[in-house]
This record gives sequence, structure tokens and C-alpha cells, in this order.
Amino acid sequence: MQTADLAIHWNSQETQPAMTQPTDDLDLIHRMQAGDDDAVRDLYAQYGHRLYAYALRLTDDPATAEDVTQNTLVTAWRTANKFRGDGRLIAWLLGIVHHTAMKAIRSTPQFLDEAEETIPENLPTPEEQAQVKEEKRWVRDGLQSLSPEHRAVLELIFYQGLSLNEAADVLKCPIGTVKSRLSYARQHLRGVLSRTEENWR
Amino acid sequence: MNHEEQIILYAANQLDEQARADFEKHLTDCADCQADLLLWRSVADEINASDSLVPAPAQLADSALEVIHQPNKLARALRSTGQLLRMQMLIIHNELWVGSAALMVIFLAMALLVERVEVLYFFAPMIAAGTVTLIYGSENDPAAELTFATPISPWKVLLARLTLVSAYNVLLAGCATLALLLIIPPQALGEFVLGWLAPMTFLSALALMLSLWIGTSNALFIAYLLWSAQYASLISFGEWFAFASPWLETYRQFWKNPAMLFIFGFALIVFALWSSGRDQVQWRRSIAM
Repeated sequence: MQTADLAIHWNSQETQPAMTQPTDDLDLIHRMQAGDDDAVRDLYAQYGHRLYAYALRLTDDPATAEDVTQNTLVTAWRTANKFRGDGRLIAWLLGIVHHTAMKAIRSTPQFLDEAEETIPENLPTPEEQAQVKEEKRWVRDGLQSLSPEHRAVLELIFYQGLSLNEAADVLKCPIGTVKSRLSYARQHLRGVLSRTEENWR
Repeated sequence: MNHEEQIILYAANQLDEQARADFEKHLTDCADCQADLLLWRSVADEINASDSLVPAPAQLADSALEVIHQPNKLARALRSTGQLLRMQMLIIHNELWVGSAALMVIFLAMALLVERVEVLYFFAPMIAAGTVTLIYGSENDPAAELTFATPISPWKVLLARLTLVSAYNVLLAGCATLALLLIIPPQALGEFVLGWLAPMTFLSALALMLSLWIGTSNALFIAYLLWSAQYASLISFGEWFAFASPWLETYRQFWKNPAMLFIFGFALIVFALWSSGRDQVQWRRSIAM
């Protein structure tokens, strides 16, 4: 594929969320501070999907992700006064999801085993490969074999559209750590890709 | 910003127009970056595709609001404590309330009649000790099996009953004390209350603990014996017992030492609460057989 194709193909994708603070967000926060129940419903209607998706990405378990999302709404309500508006609301909310999900992961031992970074051994048989798009398969396996912390960075940057700085805020770590996690994820995924390619041959 | 980072932001569509154009220029003659771009594009595609398929659960906002409006822990604890006390109030025999009140009235009348507060000193702890031996165990509780089968742990049930009965006993003795103001000066009130409250606490605790281990009647017998022993005069038994007099004096002093009585009393209560599960264990064993 030509580089130009790559660029055009990519840029035709839907644009990521805007980086500015929409007035709706401030309105939501003010209403929560004032104790308006509907603000929680509106907040969920607006961001619920993204919060749940992030929780699911971290926990890999729908029931836990649901709990995490619900607790995030409760925490957001209780700490709405602490939101200063110096960052985007979604980044603040994702920070709460992250903290809550990590607590849930730590308190549930089986998550630790899943988080161990292993290359999945049950690679698909040739028949399966014919059915599943190989390209998708390796990247899915690769993502799943990353630790929650590394998956988190990728999710925040690619799906949630956060900048490196915002991701560092959400993860409560220095920006250097975000960069090194990205670098590690790249190495890891490349490893999975090349192993998969060898397998295909 | 190095290329490794730039390519990620490019793939995530986060570069501004100028940076993007510059990077695309670089991309045309950098094979490494092209390979990386393919990798990150696959990652972005996969994440975006799988996340957009994720269904956000409905009703989560409402369930969160339910949690938000739940009363806090303290209020919930108070409410369940109130429920437990009300429930246990119904289980305790009615005769116990009426009987101890009647006894108290009799002894109060006696005290007023002979104008001796010692009557109340002597009988108030005995009434209290008598009532607490009747509050727990299959011997006294017709619903003991039901009690054991409920999810509330036995020590909580015992503590609830003990609280109710003790509060009632203190109330009765308190009312009697007020009536005794007819024959004692008001300045002596504090000392007088402490005079019956401390032995009452210890004797009740002792009787309760004994009743859990050896049954109500045995517990009552031993508790009353120990209590009365301080009033015994060994000399009257003859010279032979005189050697024991100093010990008896120490024993009497113990009953007049509120600090000691409270400390040992509370220790006995803790021990009684700890042993409250014994009946339940036996009951479980009996139904398991």
C-alpha cells in the first residue's frame, strides 16, 4: 500500500472528539453540584458509553465494568465540587473510572493472572484463519495479552481521543511513563505480529 | 517530539494540519514509520471497532442514583439496631418486665418502711441478676431455634437483649432511688447510685455468663450465694472459722470497689458474648445428625 493511501484512508475516518471544554460539560457539573438528579442521567447519556467501554477494556469483565461505571457516576456526583474545569470533563471522568477499575482489579485475584503478559498459545487453525480476518485476530490477541495499564494507554489515546498529557493525568503518572508504555506496547504488538506471520507461513 | 510519538498521534488523528502535512512528507521515505503506521492503524481500528460495538448498559444512571440517595452507613446501622432491639423486645418474656417491677416495688416499700437504704443496695443487684439469667438459651427462649437460624449472629442477639434488660433494670433502680430521696439527703445521691450500679453490673454479668454455661437455676444459685456471702458473719459460726475473717474482709471490699466491679463486669460480659454461640453450635450439630 502506498503511503498516500494510508494517509487518505486514515483521515477519512470520523474525527475524534473536540479538545475544548464544551459549555454543556460545565452545565452538567454545575447541575450535579446543585444536586440535580437529571444531571447524572444526562451525564450518562452523554459519556456513559465511553466510560463503560474504558471500564470494560481495563477489567475485561462486563459485570465488573458495570459496577465500575456505576461507582464512577456516584463518585462524580459526590466529588463534583472538586472539578475545577481546568481539564476536559471526559478526562476527569476517565480518571475516576481508571482509579475505580484498578481498585476492583487489585481486589480480585483472578485479574492478576489475566494481566500477566503472555503471548496466547492457542493461535487459530488454518481453517479459522480463513474465516477470521487475520489482521484483526493478531491485534486482538496482542491487545488482550497486554497488561491493563498498557491497554489503558492505547484506549485513552485511540478511542477516547486524549492527548498524552491528558492520558498521564488519567493514569496519575508522569508523561514519560505514558510514552514508555506506548513504546512497550509497540514492541509487544510487533512481537505478536511477527510470531503470527511465522505461524501463517 | 520524536517520530515514534508523532506517528501515534498521527494514527490517533491528534496532529494539527501543519504537523500532519509535515509528517506525511516524512512518511513517504521512511519505511520504519510506514510499518509502524500500519501497526498503530490496526490497533486503532480494532479498539474503535470493538468499543463502538460495546453496548453501554441501560439503567446504570438510575442505579447510581439509588446508591447516591441511600442513607449513609451510620443511619443504616442505627436503623438495623433499632429493628433488632424491637424484635428482641417482643421475644423477652413479659413476666420478666412485670415481675422485676413488682419485686422492686416491694423492696422499695420495705426500704421506706424500715428507713434503711441498704435494703435496696442488697436487692436491686439481685433482681437485675435474676432477670439476665432468663434472657438467653434454649431453656428460656421458646424461639431459640428460630434465633439460631436467623442470619443475625448470636452475640448480637444476646447483646440486644442484655441492653434492653439492663436498661430496664437501671431504670427501675433509678426510679426507686428517686423515691428513696424521701429518706436520704440529695447530696448522697451520686454515691448511692454508684453503690448499687457497680455491684449490679458485676453480679448481672456474672449471672449471665454462668447461665450460658451451667443453666439458669445453677447460675442464680451461685450468683446469689456469692452476693450474700459478703454479709455473712463467720464469727457466728464459731471460733473455728475465725482464721478466714481477713479473707472475708477482702471479699467485702471487692463488692465496695466500683472500679473493680465495672472492669470485671465488662470482662464477664465480653466473655458471655463470646460464648453465646455455644448453644447454636450444639443446635447445628443436633440437626446435622
